[in-house]
Amino acid sequence: MNALNVAEAAGGIAPSSVPILELRKLDKRFTGTHALKSVDLSFRRGEIHAIVGENGAGKSTLIKLLTGVHPRTSGELVWLGATVPLSTPHEAIALGINAVHQEVVLCPHLTVAANMFLGDEEVRYGLLKNRQMVADAQKVLDELGFNLPAGVLLSDLTIGQQQLIATARAATRGTKFLIFDEPTAYLTRQEAAQLFALIRRLKAEGVTIVYISHRMEEVFELADRVSVLRDGQLVGTRDIDATDENELIAMMINRSIEQVYHKDTIPLGATLIEAKNLSGEGFEDISLSVRAGEIVGLYGLIGAGRSEFVTSLFGRHPIKSGEVVWEGRPVRIRNERDAINLGIALAPESRRDQGLCLNLGVGHNINLPVYDRLTKGVTISARMEKEHADRQIQDLRIKTQSRNALALSLSGGNQQKIVIGKWLNHGAKLFIFDEPTVGVDVGTKAEIYRLFSALLAKGAGIILISSYLPEVYELADQFHVFRAGRQVATHGFKAVSHEQILSEAIGV
Amino acid sequence: MSQKTTTQGEIAPRRKLNFNNLLSLSLVAVLLLMFILLSIATTTFATPGNISNLARQGAMIAILAVGETFVIITAGIDLSVGAIVGFTTVIVSLLIEGGVPVPIAITITLLVGVAIGAFHGFGIVRMGLPPFIITLATLTALQGVGLLITNGSTINITNDDFTGFSRGEFLGIPNLFWIVIVVAVPAVIYLHFSKYGRYLYAVGSNPEAARLSGVNVRGVIYTAYILSALCAAVVGVMLASRTGTGNATQANGWELQAIASSVIGGTSLFGAVGTVWGPLLGAFILATIRNGANLLNVNSFWQYIITGGLIIIIVYFDQLRRRKR
Repeated sequence: MNALNVAEAAGGIAPSSVPILELRKLDKRFTGTHALKSVDLSFRRGEIHAIVGENGAGKSTLIKLLTGVHPRTSGELVWLGATVPLSTPHEAIALGINAVHQEVVLCPHLTVAANMFLGDEEVRYGLLKNRQMVADAQKVLDELGFNLPAGVLLSDLTIGQQQLIATARAATRGTKFLIFDEPTAYLTRQEAAQLFALIRRLKAEGVTIVYISHRMEEVFELADRVSVLRDGQLVGTRDIDATDENELIAMMINRSIEQVYHKDTIPLGATLIEAKNLSGEGFEDISLSVRAGEIVGLYGLIGAGRSEFVTSLFGRHPIKSGEVVWEGRPVRIRNERDAINLGIALAPESRRDQGLCLNLGVGHNINLPVYDRLTKGVTISARMEKEHADRQIQDLRIKTQSRNALALSLSGGNQQKIVIGKWLNHGAKLFIFDEPTVGVDVGTKAEIYRLFSALLAKGAGIILISSYLPEVYELADQFHVFRAGRQVATHGFKAVSHEQILSEAIGV
Repeated sequence: MSQKTTTQGEIAPRRKLNFNNLLSLSLVAVLLLMFILLSIATTTFATPGNISNLARQGAMIAILAVGETFVIITAGIDLSVGAIVGFTTVIVSLLIEGGVPVPIAITITLLVGVAIGAFHGFGIVRMGLPPFIITLATLTALQGVGLLITNGSTINITNDDFTGFSRGEFLGIPNLFWIVIVVAVPAVIYLHFSKYGRYLYAVGSNPEAARLSGVNVRGVIYTAYILSALCAAVVGVMLASRTGTGNATQANGWELQAIASSVIGGTSLFGAVGTVWGPLLGAFILATIRNGANLLNVNSFWQYIITGGLIIIIVYFDQLRRRKR
């Protein structure tokens, strides 16, 4: 309580250049790991301070120290001039430090209003004032311009809308210091725009924002200053006007941006697949073809029907009309098995929900599509099972202690490598990658792109879905822009400007 | 935190191995400890007669538990196995008393089990019912059908060859225990050494990921429930032979013992974790508790309390093991 009083007293007179929170030689060791190495960093009142760095650079550890989830090993935290212990989440919240996480941590079975008031309910005679809370929550949402109903169940909203609710919840609780951890990973562009508006508004009210993101364009759009972490160390802090993307990436990975988007010139071969006027749930009248050695990009906003189209192509959902031609002959793909047998591989959008069996071993996940081939007679050949898994782990440089480690113990980038890796030795000819680099650091991205080239060189074709325009722009030989379930434009490699593609995708 | 993962990785394999071994070792140790203590505390425990008896008592729950484990690994549950046992004692005794040759009667009974399991699969896959609900429904309904066709009475089996089987021995080992081996060997091959076993775990872990990897998820679920019901039908035949009767309610509550054995044996009710030998050990631990309690003249109600306590302790240790990972 003492610290809080000091904070408020100091808050009244502090000019904006006075740090709200200062990290002095902040250090964190886990058993065997030095996660954060003597970090000195100060956050100014009312600034938007972006923190960038690869996976494993220490960003998550930093958040956990600032929100009191983990105790620090050494160093000091100075909140408005006074040293604070900050050793419990409760203390962090009492000071006014809150965090909005990438994955929404709210209760999907409760209403929006109940979630916003969770732990802070309005009661009369011990009974909940439900109607009052819905009205109050609605007022807050309307003020924020969210256009979301407060009375519906949280699970009725999209993930993006839920993220907005989580932010609104944090914003209404006397927050002075708000940390965002990759908040836009699952948001549509419109939702992201609403979120940014809210963030700017909080800033105007004097709230300090710490913004963690892999997306450079967001950092440049929002931040006043940016700090770069690498291997647990602070590499540097820059005013946003005094730096550019190239410098930041170089600071993050010690490598330049040209080396990230790697594209070999590969001669195109025969047509692998041709989709003619396909329609199904969520997409209509889509026609495209993929040739051997070609990357075909599908760009659009989240919810534009790209994932629905490729999962239907893969046999997961029925195709209502249209024709699929595989290597020159018409085929019907009724289920996933049909697609796999033809030679189609799908690395789906969400590795947690669709791509991985998280509580099974790395090797088990890698081998899942090929157990048929690892079986000799009735039983699996233990030797082949081991060899196949180990080869993928080695080739893809998946960082894991062994093939028996559970998939959930791996970092996001390494998990993504499993999702991709399990198809590599399947002999597939067409690879569908749905958002292959979401939540993946720059170094791993570069590795994944290099993998694409290797596949193309072997005569495969790739369908690449991405909501990250530079990815499609720099890599695809040809790409289609999707909007609201329809194919609105088709372009060749770097044929048009970013701006034009964006406006086609948004529809303005 | 890639860095963290790798550094931890250098220590983790040894530790994980220790904990895994600890669980199966601790189950064997619990069983051995009980054997030693009971041998010291009573003169009647370590006699060939009693050990055979123990093997017979444990055999039936052990087989049920193995079948149940297949279902639990898919993150499902089969509450109907006790009712299937009771129902199939009625079927097999009606057939034998009706003059059907024993091998044919047994075959038909096992097929009834398969049909019930297939119905469960249908309910879950096609009708979209939760496993808990569909198997709870068949639990109730099968008892009703069994009571209806016997008019609530018990059928006595007069065929001595059939009832003699359960008392017989082969190579000094009770026939009923041989059945455990006959079931366990293919079960181990299926779950631990075939691709179907791998698919079972994958479906229990994440059905969508399994499906997108080309696994026939529906087929896997059908198979799990059919195998569970088939195991229950096997036990039905064994029980009919042992008691010489057909009665729809004579295995009431066995599903809970089967689930308890499975859980004691390290199966996770969240799916994707479990073995064949775990539930086997679990079932014989429970049987030994019951047997020992009888020999020590402990109030039989204590058995329930001990069993409950044991489930809490073992599952708690399992949780600790998981957290350490």
